[in-house]
Amino acid sequence: MNRSPERLALLAAVAAVTLASAALIAQDGQWLMYSGSYSSQRHSPLTQLTPDNVDKLRPVWVYQPPGTGSVESTPVVANGVMYVTSGPTMVAALDLRSGKALWEWTRPIAASVLNLGFPRVNRGVAIRENTVYVGTLDGYLVALDARSGVERWSVHVGENPTGHAITAAPLIVDDKVIVGISGGEAGIRGFLDAYDAKTGKQVWRFWTIPSPGEPGSESWPGDSWVHGGGATWLTGSYDPALKLLYWGTGNPGPDWNGDTRKGDNLYTSSLVAIDVDTGKPRWHFQFTPHDVHDWDANQIPVLVDTDIRGQRRSLVVTANRNGFFYALDRKSGEFVYATQYAKQTWAKGLDDKGRPIEIPNMAPSEKGTLVYPSLQGSTNWASPSYSPLTDMIYVPVREMGSIYYKTGVEYKPGTYYTGGSEKRLDEESWGAVRAIDVKTGKQAWDFKLPSPTWAGVMSTAGGLVFSGSNEGNFFALDAKTGNPLWQFQTGGAIRSGPMSFLAGNRQHVAVAGGHALFVFALDEAARR
Amino acid sequence: MRVVHPVICAAALLLPATALAQARGAAPRPAISSDAVEGRRVFDAQCAWCHGNGGDGGMGPNLHGRLRHATSLASIVEIITNGIPGTDMPGFRSPLTERHIRQTAAYVQSLSRTTGQPAAGNAQRGAALYGSTGCGGCHVVDGQGGILGPELTTIGSRRGAAYLREALVKPEATHPPGYLIVRATLVNGPVVRGIRVVEDVFWVHIRDASGTMHTLSKLDLESLDRETDASLMPSYASRLKDTDLDDLVAYLTTLRGAK
Repeated sequence: MNRSPERLALLAAVAAVTLASAALIAQDGQWLMYSGSYSSQRHSPLTQLTPDNVDKLRPVWVYQPPGTGSVESTPVVANGVMYVTSGPTMVAALDLRSGKALWEWTRPIAASVLNLGFPRVNRGVAIRENTVYVGTLDGYLVALDARSGVERWSVHVGENPTGHAITAAPLIVDDKVIVGISGGEAGIRGFLDAYDAKTGKQVWRFWTIPSPGEPGSESWPGDSWVHGGGATWLTGSYDPALKLLYWGTGNPGPDWNGDTRKGDNLYTSSLVAIDVDTGKPRWHFQFTPHDVHDWDANQIPVLVDTDIRGQRRSLVVTANRNGFFYALDRKSGEFVYATQYAKQTWAKGLDDKGRPIEIPNMAPSEKGTLVYPSLQGSTNWASPSYSPLTDMIYVPVREMGSIYYKTGVEYKPGTYYTGGSEKRLDEESWGAVRAIDVKTGKQAWDFKLPSPTWAGVMSTAGGLVFSGSNEGNFFALDAKTGNPLWQFQTGGAIRSGPMSFLAGNRQHVAVAGGHALFVFALDEAARR
Repeated sequence: MRVVHPVICAAALLLPATALAQARGAAPRPAISSDAVEGRRVFDAQCAWCHGNGGDGGMGPNLHGRLRHATSLASIVEIITNGIPGTDMPGFRSPLTERHIRQTAAYVQSLSRTTGQPAAGNAQRGAALYGSTGCGGCHVVDGQGGILGPELTTIGSRRGAAYLREALVKPEATHPPGYLIVRATLVNGPVVRGIRVVEDVFWVHIRDASGTMHTLSKLDLESLDRETDASLMPSYASRLKDTDLDDLVAYLTTLRGAK
């Protein structure tokens, strides 16, 4: 098979036409972006692994990157090479068969580099033609030569001394690199940037917090918008037909003390649909107006086409940190439905526009307020997966409550701007991989985990769902029933998303566990 | 000699200087730290649920007298900011501003300059009770004893007297992390109940009341239930007199490891 860069570029161009073709591209065994495809379904079309043979899955190699800390990256596989990252900012190109590093690139990150509100991790790269793109903990976007790991250019995205940092994988759309920013606990003003993929020149910036006079600015009193948060710390999705990016935004600042920011605080804790050419918002949907529980809406939005009440709908669906699962019209942002998918005690429900009907006195307080879910939410950055075969979305769920405390707060550059804390109810907490029927929003099955999970989920066309646990298990479930079929103890917490690729015409599955990347395939003998 | 109640002493330290002066009917003295006054508010909201009201100890140590990990205001600030690695003490860099941390540290320092309320009982008698009641069957002190319950060699430096008394009277309310009780019902009927030593998605390891370790595949289980309000330790509320409990607590507070 021709795996030349030109061929790759052509495939990428083809993929940009429709979601379906984005799925097609993965059928040649690659995994071209963080969430697998623009739709972020994390659904592998590979079919070699099935419920009947998955018990023959065995480790074939393990990669241990330099440094320490957990590996939270989802690898990208393109042009016969795997690109995986590790913290604080390190990229490796690995041979698919041997697992050996063809090159490793490490950015020197001083101990003084700030990571306020998140670990010193990196969650992945983007690739276009011969270039690999990675965001750095100290706030840069770097372009590397995919063949050698040599740095081609870097551009300064955000000032780290004020808490800006990048941990998310960038997203390539045509000739642009889209990159989000972290720093929602440091009082940044959030934004999403687009850069020219060849030169690194900025194409546009979308500020998630409007400045005075702009639409939405009326939701911020005084100058509270200046440190209003709304970070864009996880990779979004893209609909090539509508030319719209779908990107989740983080909590408003300060996180738990909303006294100085009365109002809805747009566009925090929202999903924003952004015109990829101009960077202008087309529509937004705010899940948690005036959020005071740190319920970011950065969770991966998944683009799904399905029948709702007998009508074909193009949807963007998302399990939000606030305990509700939402389906919105992808073109207009219209609220289609929402269901509660995890325990929550803060809202009576949602009105017919999807706005929460809040229960009084659930805000953080000096003496503490018990609320479900905890501040890490009913789900967090771990990716969900959608299988077109079952029409189910598989959500990594965190069932946990917290006592929320409110404290005084003042803005000081490069320090926490949160105004509170939490005491988690650890012993009562648990986790799950939960299947939700996208047609109805109702739970289809539930696979329980001992603790609230940080592991992403992948479904496959062979009828499997892969995920992991804090306790180190990497496992496969039957996509239809949730029955466990196979597991492997990796020895370290799984805080990453699984992915699948072809090497030597064999289907492989990869997942990071602890400080290593594990790659599995069927025993040769098990293959027919 | 009149003994001044140490708690009142600590409270007095927090009164504004003018109030103190009025209380004594004396000339105004140099102002006490207003930081400490403000710090007490933060302490009550953020720290008291571990360290007890007034720093008398609880799940976290008593803060009166010499502090184990800090000798100066700066080192208290450092601990509040970043926590103490290897202990349950978290850092408060996120919820608290630098000013609030400084104020809280000033309050903690003021506590350390007072003597905590001494335990009501007699430690020597408590030591004898520890032996005669059979506590060592489940707990280790200085390398001697069983491992069903938590190690107690340094318990006096980590827990306050009120917490320790509660642990004797109502152990299920105070069991520490790592001592969750679970009940596993096997598909074929038998039940294994005990401390969850470790669990993953597919396995659970349970130490039962006899000390026997059970390694169970979850595929063989009908159910696995957590008993978050249970403990293998019996309550000593009716087994020991109040004065005996006081003595036992007094003994436990002396267990502070290597001097």
